[in-house]
Amino acid sequence: MNNNKVKVNPWKRRYVVLMMEVIGRSMEAASQVDRVIRGEVANLPDRLMFEMRVIPNGPALVMVKTDAGNLRYVGTSAPRKVDVAMKFKHLQHAFLVFSFQESTARSFANDRILLDGEIAYAMKIVRCLNRMESLILPKFIAQRALKRYPDLSLPEKLLGGGRIYSQVAKNLIWG
Amino acid sequence: MTKSYYEFFCPVKIVAGSAALEHIPYELSNLSASRPLIITDKGVRGAGLLDHVLNAFAESDMEVVEIFDDVPPDSSTKIVSRIAELYRSNKCDSIIAVGGGSVIDTSKGVNILVSENGTDLAQFSGVGVLKKPLKPFFVIPTTAGTGSEVTQVAVVSDTDKQVKLPFTSYFLLPNAAILDPRMTLTLPPHITAMTAMDAMTHAIEAFTGMAKNPISDAYATLAIRKISENLIRVLDKPDDVDARLELAQASTMAGIAFSNSMVGLVHSLGHSLGALCHLPHGLCMNLFLPFVLEYNLDGRGDVIGELLLYLAGAEVYARTPTHQRGAKAIEVIRQMRDELNRRCKLPRTLSETGKVTQDQLSKLADMALDDGSIIFNPVDVEREDALAVLNNAW
Ligand SMILES: [Fe+2]
Repeated sequence: MNNNKVKVNPWKRRYVVLMMEVIGRSMEAASQVDRVIRGEVANLPDRLMFEMRVIPNGPALVMVKTDAGNLRYVGTSAPRKVDVAMKFKHLQHAFLVFSFQESTARSFANDRILLDGEIAYAMKIVRCLNRMESLILPKFIAQRALKRYPDLSLPEKLLGGGRIYSQVAKNLIWG
Repeated sequence: MTKSYYEFFCPVKIVAGSAALEHIPYELSNLSASRPLIITDKGVRGAGLLDHVLNAFAESDMEVVEIFDDVPPDSSTKIVSRIAELYRSNKCDSIIAVGGGSVIDTSKGVNILVSENGTDLAQFSGVGVLKKPLKPFFVIPTTAGTGSEVTQVAVVSDTDKQVKLPFTSYFLLPNAAILDPRMTLTLPPHITAMTAMDAMTHAIEAFTGMAKNPISDAYATLAIRKISENLIRVLDKPDDVDARLELAQASTMAGIAFSNSMVGLVHSLGHSLGALCHLPHGLCMNLFLPFVLEYNLDGRGDVIGELLLYLAGAEVYARTPTHQRGAKAIEVIRQMRDELNRRCKLPRTLSETGKVTQDQLSKLADMALDDGSIIFNPVDVEREDALAVLNNAW
């Protein structure tokens, strides 16, 4: 038996699993209520499926564009080959992004993410993620998570963030 | 930057200088190859450049088995398949690309098909699809600009499906890049200028971008210095062998820098303009470069300021107060562009091209946002920002 196989801190894995679901459900909600994100999603092809995944063994976050023009959180595995995949090379790299220590852009620049599929779609998805984070995260965290924190008025931030939170709750209750 | 991290990779052997072409037979034999296929275009052949390559095989115990000289400026999967067929029927064992961006990308496509024994190039599109080394592959650039001889990407159009297929793999890097001054000696002034400004942009965007790193910085800065010192020299005296070689080296060095540190907003806008208005890539780079640097100046002024040393030399750099160096660097680039405009009519603004209308700016901004390079621009770019830069460049 080989005892050399080291497991990463299980807490870290659980955190990334949890955050991927939070991000997925928040994106779903944001795509229903936020004008900017709706605009981006409108320009994605119908039924486009994308994932963020840690290679080789996950966790993962899979989303699809619905016929209604929203994003839907599919879960942790894709029912078919995804159209766009953003793959973190290691759990630690996903942890840096989802604990908001490194922006997505920085993670790309640091060669920590592999991109598979049409780049133009990936860029739209990254913009949706950034917008959603700017709305739901407290400013002092979002400033680290984003390349530039946008000029959101306080009402826009509170309204936007609040509507996303309540939409997540609605989606969870009503499915 | 406490969490800094970078990667740097360039396994391409650089064979550069006088009589560099004559090293090809030896380099081929080193890779156990002896039956090369040459891929090139009519322009290269017409200019007599191929003769230099063929002559280099004299006194060697190998010869060029076949030559394909009909690569169009916008190549396609059909051409790639045709050349692959030629390679197979002549039992070739290696590929030598002689040309610019289109010839090099086409040759990379051919190498995929013949090495993987495939017929459908689309099957190998994407990142990391290739799993093993390809056939021995040399590149002899005939322009000094694209840097394709040291990049691991290729783009080939599928004309039937109207899509551009991207390929990314370490295995697309050639085994050697051969830089021989004879190969760029006859390049016309306006193409020399455009391609040099492409190389200049590669170096500047690599050096100022988000993914900069100390090793690519070394390549980028020396490339900038070589272009600054030699571009006008070459335009003054097109047959200056030393200056030509300096430009060729600078282009390769800039290619090494940007293939490791990526490019930014100049390329995002330039790719969009090239696609929408069919303007040459180097021209688009020359056009947007100062306007993008101005946009980045607020957030990245210190790094842009460092460029002044390589653009204008130690005296100007020392004479300019630290906080003014960024603006001064941009001014030097503007002067260079004025000179190129005077000598070769290279447009400096969108209106000077005569090929762009103002109502296209909005579309250009949208396209630029979807270009992958924008993520590496040092300053975040939103739609209004891209539009503002386009308006400044009008
Ligand atoms: Fe370029």
